[in-house]
Amino acid sequence: MKIAGKLLVLFVITCSSCVVVKEYEMVHLNDPDMILGDQNCDRNLLTAQAYREAASGANGGKTGGGCGCN
Amino acid sequence: MKHNFLWIAALFVCSGMTAQNQPQPYKKRVLESTEVDLLSSLYSQTGDHAAVSGGIGNESLQDATATIVIAIPLNDDDVLTIDAGVSAYTSASSSNINPFDGRQAADPYVASSGESQSDTWSNGILRYSHSSDNRNQIWSANTSFANEFDYSSIGVGSSFAQLLNEKNTEISLHGSAYFDQWRLIYPIELRPPGGGGGEGTPFHLENYTITGNPVYSPKFTPLSQSGRQSYAAGLGFSQILSKKMQGSLALDVVLQKGQLSTPFQRVYFSDVDNSYIENFHLADDIERLPDTRLKLAIGGRLNTYINEIFTVRTFYRYYVDDWGIRSHTASIEVPIKILMGRITLYPSYRIYNQTAADYFKPYDQHLSTRTYYTSDYDLSGYAANQYGFGVSYTDIFNNMHLWRFELKSIDLKYYHYSRNTNFSSNLITLGVKFILE
Repeated sequence: MKIAGKLLVLFVITCSSCVVVKEYEMVHLNDPDMILGDQNCDRNLLTAQAYREAASGANGGKTGGGCGCN
Repeated sequence: MKHNFLWIAALFVCSGMTAQNQPQPYKKRVLESTEVDLLSSLYSQTGDHAAVSGGIGNESLQDATATIVIAIPLNDDDVLTIDAGVSAYTSASSSNINPFDGRQAADPYVASSGESQSDTWSNGILRYSHSSDNRNQIWSANTSFANEFDYSSIGVGSSFAQLLNEKNTEISLHGSAYFDQWRLIYPIELRPPGGGGGEGTPFHLENYTITGNPVYSPKFTPLSQSGRQSYAAGLGFSQILSKKMQGSLALDVVLQKGQLSTPFQRVYFSDVDNSYIENFHLADDIERLPDTRLKLAIGGRLNTYINEIFTVRTFYRYYVDDWGIRSHTASIEVPIKILMGRITLYPSYRIYNQTAADYFKPYDQHLSTRTYYTSDYDLSGYAANQYGFGVSYTDIFNNMHLWRFELKSIDLKYYHYSRNTNFSSNLITLGVKFILE
C-alpha cells in the first residue's frame, strides 16, 4: 500500500510536467486501441473475473453489488 | 459635441450588428448517430473445489450470455444508453444444492438433475450523460436492475468528469449504490421438514440411510437477514504523457453490508464426525461471513502507440479488503494492425494472485467453535494466469449494411484462464457494432 501511494505521487509529479498536446496532434491518442479502458466486447470477461476472483474495482468493471458474487 | 455624439452612437450600432452576425462557435456532437452493440459470449469452467459441497466436488459450469447496448444521441450534448442482457447457465455445483435426485447415488463430483442445475440471469442499465458546450465537463447518471432465481438487485449511480489542460488531463468522480435481495435457499438437508427453502419437494431425512455418524445434528440456524447493500465511490485521473502515450489511475472504495455469505454453500467441521447419505457428506453448517466488508482497489493503465502496426496496453491493480485478502493483477495486450488497419490482432496475457480470506479453510478443516467460516475457493489463496487472443475487423467505410444499420466493427476474442487450485475456464466473446445511418 505504501508502494502504491509513492507510485501515485510519482505519477502525479510526472504528469504535471508533461508537454501539452494540442487537439490536432492527438491523432494517435484517439486510436480506438489507445482508449484507457476495456473494450466493450470484454465486458463479459470482466464479469467472469468478478465472479471468480475476490478482487474487484479500479478497472471499470463491477465493484460490488448487483450479483451474488464475492 | 453633437457631431461627436453621432459618431459614438454609430460606432455602438455597428458593433451590435457585427455581434449579431458573428457565427456561433462550432460544437461537435458528442455522438454523431445511434450506435448499437451486440455482445455475446460462451463461458465454460471446470474444477473440483465446489463451494456448494464444502470445497470438494464438480465445479463444471456453462454459461451463454447475450447483451445489446444502444447509445442514442438526444441532441448535440446528451446521450441516452440502454443496456440489456440475459445469461443462461447450467452448473454441476449449484445442482448439488439438492444432490438427492433419485437417479443415481448422490456424489459431490456428479451433477444432480435437480431444479437448481440451471438458471437465467437478466439485467438492464439505463444511463444518461450530458456534456458541457466546451466538452470539458461530463455528467452522467444511471440506474440498473438484475434478477435471477435466488437474487435480485437495484442500483443507482452517478459520475462527473472534468477535462483540464486543453483536454490533456481528466479528473473524474463516481459513486454507486446497490440494494440487493437474496431469496434464501439452503442445502436440502438443512431445510425444515415439510417446507422452507423455496425449491421443489420438501426433503425428509428419515427416508434415507445415514452412514458414518448416524446421529446427524448440524449446527445450523436460519439466516436472520436477506438483504445486501453495496456503496462504492471512486476517483479517476488520466493524463496525456506525450503524442503517443497516455495513462490513468483509478481508486475505488466499496463498503458492503448485510447478507454477504451465500446461503447454499456448505461447510464441514473437523471436530464433528461426518454423516453421509450415499456418497454425499451432509452439511455441518452453511457458510458464515461478517455482515460488513470494506474493499479498496487502486489501479493504473499505461497505453503506448508504438507505430501504425503496434500498440501496447498495460494494466496493474492492487486490492485489499478487511477480510484479509490482498491481491495483485497485471495484464498486457498488444494490438497488432494488419491489412491497412482493417484487421487487428489482440494477443494478451494476464496474471492474478490473491491471499486467502481470514475465514477460509479447505474441505472439513473448520472448527465448530468459530464464528465465521467458508470453503469457497474464490476466497482462497491462489495464483492464476490468463492467455487471450482476439481478432477485430473494422469496416472503415461502413460498406456492409443491415437495413439502416452500417457495420462498424466485429470483434472475436478467446480467453483461457487457469488457477493453481485445479480450476480452469474458457471464454469466447463476440461483439458486433452498428451505426444507424
